[in-house]
Amino acid sequence: MEQPNQPDISAAPTQYVPFWRDGRVLGVFGQIIFIIVMIVIANTLGSNFASNKDKLGEIHCADGSVDEGYRCAYDFMQANAGFDISETVLPYKVEDSYWQAFYQGFLNTLKVGLLGVILTTIIGTLAGVARLSSNWLISQIALWYVEIMRNIPLLIILFMLYFGVILAGPDLKETMQPWGLPIFFNNRGLNFPWPQFTSSAGIFIAFLVLGAIQYQVVAIALDRREIRTGKSSNKARWGIFSFIVIAMIGWFAASAMSDTEGLLVTKASRIREVDDIERIILKRADVGLMSLVNDLPKEQLAEAALTVCVLRDSPSEVNFISQLRNRGIPYSITRFDRPDQAVAAYGEGKCEVFAASKSVLAAERVTLENPTSHLLVPISETPVVWSVPAFEGLNIAGGSKLSPEFTALLVGLVLFYGGTLAELVRAGIQSVSKGQSEAAQALGLSESQRLTLVVLPQSLKVIIPPLIGTYLSLIKDTSLGLALGFSDMYRISFVTINQTGQALQVVILMMLVYLAISVVFSVLLNWYNAKYVIMVER
Amino acid sequence: MTAITQSLSQFKGSIGQHFRWDYFLQDNVTSSIWLTIWVALLTMVTAVYTIGQVASSPVPTLIIIAIWVAILGLAIAGGLFQKHTKVGDWLGSNLVGSISNALLTLLLMLWLASAFRSVLSYAVINATFDPALTAPEVRTKDGATWGWLAATNSNPEVIGGARDLLLYGRLDRMFVPRVKAAGLIILALALLTVAANKTGVWQSKKPVSQGLTYAWLLSPLILFILLNGVTYNPDKPLINFSTLIMGTIGVLLLYGFSWWQKIVKYSLANVIVAAVAFPIFYVAWRFLAQSQLFPVINVDTWGGLMLTLIIAASVILLSFPVGLILAMGRRSEVRGIPDWITWPLVIIFTVWGFKTSTPGLLADARNTIETLIAFWPILIVAIGYVIQQGFKGNIVAAFSTFFIETIRGVPLITLLFMAIIMAPFFFKSGTVIPNPYAVIIGYTVFSAAYMAELIRGGLQAIPQGQYEAADALGLNTLQKMRFVIFPQALRILIPALVGSFIGNFKSSSLVSIVGLFDLVGIAGSVVGNAQWLGLKRELYYGMALFYFLVSFTMSSYSRRLEAKLSTGQ
Repeated sequence: MEQPNQPDISAAPTQYVPFWRDGRVLGVFGQIIFIIVMIVIANTLGSNFASNKDKLGEIHCADGSVDEGYRCAYDFMQANAGFDISETVLPYKVEDSYWQAFYQGFLNTLKVGLLGVILTTIIGTLAGVARLSSNWLISQIALWYVEIMRNIPLLIILFMLYFGVILAGPDLKETMQPWGLPIFFNNRGLNFPWPQFTSSAGIFIAFLVLGAIQYQVVAIALDRREIRTGKSSNKARWGIFSFIVIAMIGWFAASAMSDTEGLLVTKASRIREVDDIERIILKRADVGLMSLVNDLPKEQLAEAALTVCVLRDSPSEVNFISQLRNRGIPYSITRFDRPDQAVAAYGEGKCEVFAASKSVLAAERVTLENPTSHLLVPISETPVVWSVPAFEGLNIAGGSKLSPEFTALLVGLVLFYGGTLAELVRAGIQSVSKGQSEAAQALGLSESQRLTLVVLPQSLKVIIPPLIGTYLSLIKDTSLGLALGFSDMYRISFVTINQTGQALQVVILMMLVYLAISVVFSVLLNWYNAKYVIMVER
Repeated sequence: MTAITQSLSQFKGSIGQHFRWDYFLQDNVTSSIWLTIWVALLTMVTAVYTIGQVASSPVPTLIIIAIWVAILGLAIAGGLFQKHTKVGDWLGSNLVGSISNALLTLLLMLWLASAFRSVLSYAVINATFDPALTAPEVRTKDGATWGWLAATNSNPEVIGGARDLLLYGRLDRMFVPRVKAAGLIILALALLTVAANKTGVWQSKKPVSQGLTYAWLLSPLILFILLNGVTYNPDKPLINFSTLIMGTIGVLLLYGFSWWQKIVKYSLANVIVAAVAFPIFYVAWRFLAQSQLFPVINVDTWGGLMLTLIIAASVILLSFPVGLILAMGRRSEVRGIPDWITWPLVIIFTVWGFKTSTPGLLADARNTIETLIAFWPILIVAIGYVIQQGFKGNIVAAFSTFFIETIRGVPLITLLFMAIIMAPFFFKSGTVIPNPYAVIIGYTVFSAAYMAELIRGGLQAIPQGQYEAADALGLNTLQKMRFVIFPQALRILIPALVGSFIGNFKSSSLVSIVGLFDLVGIAGSVVGNAQWLGLKRELYYGMALFYFLVSFTMSSYSRRLEAKLSTGQ
């Protein structure tokens, strides 16, 4: 509809905005000023830094010459670190370089971070669900857990755990063993059983991979059958069943095929297979049954014990020791770092048997005075050995060990961020309207279907974005391990700076690595969020 | 799951007709295999635990079991005789709603009671509160030794308390009254503000709210005078006229700019205030210095709770404006630099870099990494691409985003460390920055990045219509922000700011890691003291309690504030 009174726009002369009010010009102009200001600031800081640079000390190249620029800034990292790291993921020696030490610190940071993320997810979800429990006591306990964690600094939680719980725990003599399980807790840490791979584990793992492929094959085959015949079938059940069958075949095959482990014994010892050891010990202890041996008085037991030489942290150590433990054979063990040391000790008669891989034994037997008087006895092995901790004299050996620092850091992080996560989970679950649950019930979905198909996908949409931030904070806060003396990346950097004085390079390197971890982690989680969580929304 | 009470009330109403044991069992035990296993397991655990508890401490355990039986009885009886009381119904639905819930309640009651007993015996019954009983040979064995934490060590002959150390660190004790005065001023201001809000005076009487606002604005200056002191240099003239004139002109220019941008009104009174503000302030400051009423305190001796609070408060105060600038920068929508300017520049710089720097670097390269570094000019192309594609040529937004995300990606203690070690290198040589100030700078940078995200959230929460309405009214950018956006955004932001303050208060404990003696740092040296050896547990438990009480009070107040604000809108 046309308005009669409307002014004729086209007739009016076009008014151009003057250039000093033109957004485009002003924008570019403002940004040029911004860049100039930034350059001036950077220049001031840079020139101040340049005039102060000599206070940082000279930079030496690896060949010892003095570097004028920054080309050799990181050359000092190639030198020997010269300090030991109490716990590492990969083997590390005092003679290794600072790069190696830094790398160990990085791995420790990742270890605590990843374990922390996994455990926090579990604890946080449990606490978040408990907040909504129909049982008033449970929801109140969860509420106070969350409040306590939210209102106490992480550092103090770590100190309380470290000084108040772990270091105040029982000492070695009064080691706690809850319910008689092979779990040992004292103020030097926590020892617990842990599976360890032996040399034939490769074959077993190959079978496991095969089983996983088989799972997929079964699922596809059943899918096709379902399309063809219309008969539905439980894909997960048949898949898991076929997986287990293949894994079991793999287990036995690996056990049967492995023939790499052996014992070196003298002919005079009359040990021809592992079962002979039992007989010899019984004879030596002068009792009829193995179970009676361990009731003997200490001196007698020490006399009867089998003396064993092994290489430290070798698969044979775990394998042979666990076999001895399973049979209840008393033993005393000496560990060596190198085969020649071990075989020398064996040659001197310090131990009756030397357990190692057959190739090592064959090579070392030749170095003995009279090689033909020594025998190689094969020992069987399973691909994975359950390494169980036990007292060996005054120490606890075997199994896996968590140091007090690591335990305090991990538990502290998990408890603290579990509290944060619990609130996210609670808010996420509450954000799904009640009508959704009721609709699911009306459709006749079961309790678990209602949770997994209706409530969870919708609440994940709310939970995941802040969850990413929580995970990143957790990983960054592993740096608090420094306060407890845990050898994470920050502490290793700290020690490096103290030893070399090259603060700037180390701090920059450390910040870059933390940044890289954050970026990689947030990219991964955002990708997961975009692909699996947001897609659910329809 | 049907409640037991309901089932039993049916049982009472018509025996054998409506209540059916098989239905009751199906609801509570046999409806699924997992439920059966769960109930069986729970029964077993509860039975074993209860028997253990009865054996170890019969009387309290039996009392708890009696209470549990009473609750159960009350809930069942309420349903049985159709007498629904509030208490009975609540107990029935919240504690003993089903068999597994009832068992869980018993288990948790017993567990809580035993935990409570052991805490009580450690912290109260076997504990001593007498500061005189602190020495290792007179301490109680199974209990805590609390007394020394709250007592002063006024008498050096006797082992005294650690209170003053924990409060002020190594501060010269002659300055303690100044610190106390500062604390009292802030406490009084806070109490007055809360009271004014509670009674509604804040809203009804404008002079009260204005006065308090000005008092708050002035408080940082007063605190600075009290806690830092005023430098006095007898060589300098009392009044430096060039500073005086420059300052006055500066304030007048600021007023003129604000008037030109129409965010303040023009009046003769305003002009006079702007003209005399700086001279009055400057002269007063100089006379304060001259009088030496507040001699300078060595900042490095700050410590204890005082340092914790100073850091938390200064960081929140400083990081707000920095965060505001960063947030505005990240949100800025100025027209970016167009493609036809960026790409030629990028190409010129890249070619220039490849020509001048790369050949030399390549010739000197000793390994693969150095060879790769020689090709650094490619980065210019990458940066140009990111700025053009990601930010449409908006350099301000690109820079702010980069800054915020970088800072948020690194741990706080690396920044604190950087600040302490590196900050002096970026100032004129000879500048000495006391550690507390260096830490405040580093922490502010960190906090500002998080603050920027908070503020950005606050600004985004303002409906787009508000911005458009302000534009339609012809307001300029400053007016729009000052009169339309900020008043609304601040209201949304207050709870987040309180939360941020609590966060800073808690995280300031991290400065102990870089060697400052804040509450946690001084605690480390307190327990290293020979007379207090072995009292680490008490100290850290006490500090945890202190932090908990303070932050819990603040956060519950902020939550109530939030509820009030959200209903007020």
